[in-house]
Amino acid sequence: MAGVNGDGASTSDVGGAENGGTTDTAGGTENGGTTDTAGGTENGGATAGTDGRRAADEGVVVDRVGKTYGGSGSSSGETAVRALDDVSFAVDRGEFVCLVGPSGCGKTTLFRIIAGLIEATDGTVRLGGAPVTGPTTDMGVVFQEYHLFPWLTVEENVGFGLDRTDRPEADRDARVTEMLELVGLDEFRDAYPKSLSGGMKQRVAIARALAVDPALLLMDEPFGAVDAQTREMLQRELLDVWRSTGKTVLFVTHDVAEAVTLADRIVVMAADPGRVREVVDVDVDRPRERGDPAFGEHVARVRDLIGTGE
Amino acid sequence: MATDTGGRFDEAGGDVSGATGLRADLGLGDTRRLRRGVGGVVGFVVVWHLVSLTTSPIVLPSPAAVAEAFVVELASGTMTAALLSSVRHWIPGTVVGTGLGVGAGVAFGWSRVLDDVTAPLVRALRPVPPLALIGFAIAWFGLNHAGAAFIIAVGAFWINFYAAYGAVEGVSEDLLDVGRTLGVRDDLDMIRSVVLPASLPGITTGIRTGLGRCWMLVVAAEIFGVPGIGREILRASNNLLVDTSIAYILVLSLMYLVVDVAFRATQRRVLAWQA
Repeated sequence: MAGVNGDGASTSDVGGAENGGTTDTAGGTENGGTTDTAGGTENGGATAGTDGRRAADEGVVVDRVGKTYGGSGSSSGETAVRALDDVSFAVDRGEFVCLVGPSGCGKTTLFRIIAGLIEATDGTVRLGGAPVTGPTTDMGVVFQEYHLFPWLTVEENVGFGLDRTDRPEADRDARVTEMLELVGLDEFRDAYPKSLSGGMKQRVAIARALAVDPALLLMDEPFGAVDAQTREMLQRELLDVWRSTGKTVLFVTHDVAEAVTLADRIVVMAADPGRVREVVDVDVDRPRERGDPAFGEHVARVRDLIGTGE
Repeated sequence: MATDTGGRFDEAGGDVSGATGLRADLGLGDTRRLRRGVGGVVGFVVVWHLVSLTTSPIVLPSPAAVAEAFVVELASGTMTAALLSSVRHWIPGTVVGTGLGVGAGVAFGWSRVLDDVTAPLVRALRPVPPLALIGFAIAWFGLNHAGAAFIIAVGAFWINFYAAYGAVEGVSEDLLDVGRTLGVRDDLDMIRSVVLPASLPGITTGIRTGLGRCWMLVVAAEIFGVPGIGREILRASNNLLVDTSIAYILVLSLMYLVVDVAFRATQRRVLAWQA
């Protein structure tokens, strides 16, 4: 992140070609660039490198974020719990970053702070250079339990965010259809969520989050509630969606193999208090095979960092 | 005809939906249930008849006597007039009480401030039975439909208030979060787009309970002399015309049944999205 080399490389790529260029960034260049970063700086460098580039090129910057529950200031007398301490990292535009860590490391708290759903005690989160002060439609948020609106059809769920913009009707409908085709659910547009499988529900949730064309797709263990086979299929589909849309993705998971399958970089957290342990680059070509030795090495490295034997 | 349809549904594992909604609403989803239901009613009438043979008609008139009283009252026009009169305060009382109850329940369930301000007041007023307010009904509205409608409205209000309040409180925080991340910015949009639809199952259950309760309150509301079914029940009882009294109770039951079936059919349609 902080490494001047890494920043220089990625900035010029993204800045130069916008849409067309993002595919290149994803597929080819980012490996070389980020390897430098990993070797040089590990963590804590999120803020250092941001000065040198245009704010608009920033993806997400998590800057010294801390969160304390209870304790000082509250009259209840309970002891303060430090859920997050000095968490800093950044996700470049168009980059796919996974956030992993042991249970209790504050992944979900951090996710909710980034989404603007709760406030950090210290530090700030910036999206595209602007501080996040509350929920914003510039972020498409996908939750583990889908949380589709059960009273709306698939089509209406996907259009929910668009209905709150001043898009013309025809424009809105075209966008909904485009999103449904992206996740392969156009023929289910008039179905209610109750008749969909878990995997289909999560596809709808992804389409709903992407419909308003957010700068960032923020996902909290989105495939945690589906069976293993569906999960692998959804992972492949998500990578396709990412490649075709060029979105910045921040993906929270507890599944190390999932993180290695998906991410350009993996932010590994530690618990008590929740903090960044290390940022690991995944320099393995996509599509990544689980049988590949490089894949196994990365999984082992991340598991080692998390400190679980499994 | 009906038996044929029923047979098919038995084969299909008793699956009932859509077109057979009315039968399902009556609780007569398949032929076996239908047969058992009819058997229950017939058995009840037979036992009623047998017991009535052993007692004086003042204690328990026979089913035949009740049927005769029903026909007499219907033929004289008294029953129709009483029913129309009851409907004239049942409808406004139910509509106003339900509307205010749902509105207040949603508002207080959603707004912490409103809830805090009104909580002691609500707790103090809640245990007052509608019947205890008859004095106010007479003083404020007089011995008329408005006074009776007031009593009915009070009963409908509390049922709907608590049903709506509970339903709104139970709306998943996660759905509200999703709404926020998708651009819902103000309370009004959140209530209209997320809170109301999410709490609709609870609200409609409250309305349905209230509709039944309002028919019961018709009797209470007419106790001070407003004409209607309740008034006829009380008058017949006072004159020891037990068969006539039961005939009017039957009218009340039938009205409840009709309204309940109609409402349940509507509810089913509105909540078609429910799992």
